[in-house]
Amino acid sequence: MVEYKLDCLYEACPIPLLKALKQLEKMKIGDILIMHTDHNCSIVNVVEWTKKQGHYIDYVEIVEGEWEIYIEKAR
Amino acid sequence: MTSSRIEALKKQKQMEIRKKNNQMHYAVLGTTITFMIYFMLINYHLRLSSFWIIGILLGITMQRSRFCFASSFRDPIMVGSTSLLKAVLLAFIISTIGFFIIQYKTIVLNPDYLITEIPGQLSPVGIHTAIGAVLFGVGMVVAGGCASGTLIRIGEGYMMQLVVLIGFIIGSTLGAKHFVFWDKTLISKAPIIYFPKYLGFFPSLILQLILLCSLYYIADWYDKKNNITITM
Repeated sequence: MVEYKLDCLYEACPIPLLKALKQLEKMKIGDILIMHTDHNCSIVNVVEWTKKQGHYIDYVEIVEGEWEIYIEKAR
Repeated sequence: MTSSRIEALKKQKQMEIRKKNNQMHYAVLGTTITFMIYFMLINYHLRLSSFWIIGILLGITMQRSRFCFASSFRDPIMVGSTSLLKAVLLAFIISTIGFFIIQYKTIVLNPDYLITEIPGQLSPVGIHTAIGAVLFGVGMVVAGGCASGTLIRIGEGYMMQLVVLIGFIIGSTLGAKHFVFWDKTLISKAPIIYFPKYLGFFPSLILQLILLCSLYYIADWYDKKNNITITM
């Protein structure tokens, strides 16, 4: 049950998703990944991709235009 | 889908978040100015007023839907999701029908029409189309957005795209400068291919719709195939 943090501020469109994808591969089931991003497309494509993969996900806007995405590896 | 631990993390974070600034007054100000300009343009220049309002509506739609041409063509290959590609195909289907109506009206009035008289952008097709497509495609994936996507993100305040904008301006200027060269060597020699001229109006409409619908079907199947968890 480890928590990983991922800094994706100022990253262009597919990079946050690719970073999450790579990090998730390294993690064990039950670990949590916290992504910090300012790219609103991440909210759409990271969430959609993670749901398709069957992981738990939710996000919260921490300041205007910055979000934290929480992903729990489920399988 | 969420879990109890994510829920707890979220709650904890929400407690830490300072109260957000209310941006309502900016919205009211922006909307008022938009409408003022619109009503001014109606009196002054009717054509420009419709450009103004259509442009703004298009911008709102694209921003709110997070529509992105770059990811619509990149995501199917990168992560196997085709939801945006399907949106692009739907847009093609709708505009095919719309343009059919517009062009059909012109052609009924004048049966022996010239291709240049048909409304819409009918341009020569040839090797330059492929060169341009490759250049644009590589550029938009590297920059993380096409022309409209870049502009939307600058409007949102995403600073990284300002760098893209500079490149975008340099590229457009160079393109405009070199257009004569391309026009002389390739574009002016290539033919304009207008299917209704060869196939007739209704067969070409039906053919195009069948093609787009089957592409949509394939995209949908591809998305489902890449869906690892079926029970959500």
